[in-house]
Amino acid sequence: MKTRLLTVVVPFAVAAMSASAAHADENLFGYVKGSETLPANASEAYIWLTHRFDKGQGEYSAYDSQIEYEYGVTSRFTASAALLGQSIDTSGLVIDGYLPSSESYGFKLSGIELKGKYNFLSAAMDPVGLSAEFELVQSWLDPHSGKDKDTTSFDVSFQLQKFFLDDQLIAVANAGLEGTYAKRVPLDAATQASADLAMQGLTGDPGAIFEWPTEPEMELEVTLGAGLSYRFAPNWSIGAETQYQTEFETEVGQERWTWFAGPTLHYGSKKWWATLTWFEQLAGGREQYINQADDSLHLIEKTEHEVRLKLGYNF
Amino acid sequence: MSHAPAWLIVPALIVPAVAVSPAYAVQYMTAEGAQKQLFPEASSFVAHPLRLTDAQKDRIEKVAKVRMRSPEQPVWQVLADGKPAGWFVLDEVYGKHEFITYAVALDAAGAVRGVEILDYRETHGGEIRNPKWRAQFNGAQFGAALKLGDDIQNISGATLSCKHISEGVRRVLAIHEVALKQP
Repeated sequence: MKTRLLTVVVPFAVAAMSASAAHADENLFGYVKGSETLPANASEAYIWLTHRFDKGQGEYSAYDSQIEYEYGVTSRFTASAALLGQSIDTSGLVIDGYLPSSESYGFKLSGIELKGKYNFLSAAMDPVGLSAEFELVQSWLDPHSGKDKDTTSFDVSFQLQKFFLDDQLIAVANAGLEGTYAKRVPLDAATQASADLAMQGLTGDPGAIFEWPTEPEMELEVTLGAGLSYRFAPNWSIGAETQYQTEFETEVGQERWTWFAGPTLHYGSKKWWATLTWFEQLAGGREQYINQADDSLHLIEKTEHEVRLKLGYNF
Repeated sequence: MSHAPAWLIVPALIVPAVAVSPAYAVQYMTAEGAQKQLFPEASSFVAHPLRLTDAQKDRIEKVAKVRMRSPEQPVWQVLADGKPAGWFVLDEVYGKHEFITYAVALDAAGAVRGVEILDYRETHGGEIRNPKWRAQFNGAQFGAALKLGDDIQNISGATLSCKHISEGVRRVLAIHEVALKQP
């Protein structure tokens, strides 16, 4: 699969670099979003790569990828479709209900995504820009454990955008709600047995078993975000962004909350753009795994650090 | 085993390319070409570079409601048969990512006689070079709002470029009012 990814990524990168001119539509941020939509009949291709790593113990390193095609149906409505992929490499860490065993594989196709974004107010022409985005995702791999898990989620979010300083400074704010229906595939006997053994070691209880619920679950996730980006030179913008996220689940109520923040660097040229964001978990809470050393973070479904690279190509 | 190298190749390829590649520029017209285009009857263009005082800069920003990034402004006085025929002002505004270089021709009374786009480097909105779009500014005088969407038609995909050129022309009219207008 790694080879397959390279065959997609390398030609894309080379094509982007050899573009005859410089500039683009853009994602100024890695995680939060602006309110702009594509012009009518314009197209854009993206690739996103996110590295999530470090759960405080053991080894945990996962890469999420997204290859997306976006089309401006009208100047106010943009539709897009994306293929999702992931790789994972984890060992030395068992988290009850979430991470049953070591896992290591290269990139696998993990899901598909359909998205629509409608622009109500233009940030350049109205006092503030406002858009709504609707997103439907179907995935079949669990991003946390790497195991098989069928997930259907629907996300509704709103994007506000405001220009300052003759449009050199851009502020955005986001609010989103995601509903998820998920069902896990049962663990095989050997994995269940090793996970049970790990739980017995962690708890000191010889009768402890590793819980891996396979009943369908419903989750609601609320995401709030904000970002500031300043164009400090032609083509180049630097910024900072932050995101608060919390999830509520049928059985436990509020399952987690996290607060991430970090710097963003953006380069945009006529045909392509790139955005690189470092996202650090500053605080988190609710569920924690057994013997978690840092109790000020949520490290079950999240990691301590994330790095996201986005590349976009306009045509 | 780490699965990192697969994606690290992307920044490894992109970053050096960005570092060594100068920004691509498409120059449609030189300043000299724009001068001839806007003032075909001119006998000479006399450089009249402005260095605005703080008071002038503040006044221009106040009346135009647009920032002046620099107190310096390239300006030429246009002479026809030895008589003042107007002004040629060269200016730059931000596009979505890069500067757009454009020129504004003012007649002797300070009204816009024409606008020419010298450089445009954006993905969308090449229509701003369309004579019909640029002609919307013709005849505008100091005090004109030149508001995008009302006075000046927007171009889908080039809203920021349209907005900044409209603001730029408004600033040029204010520069004329404050620093060029003959008593």
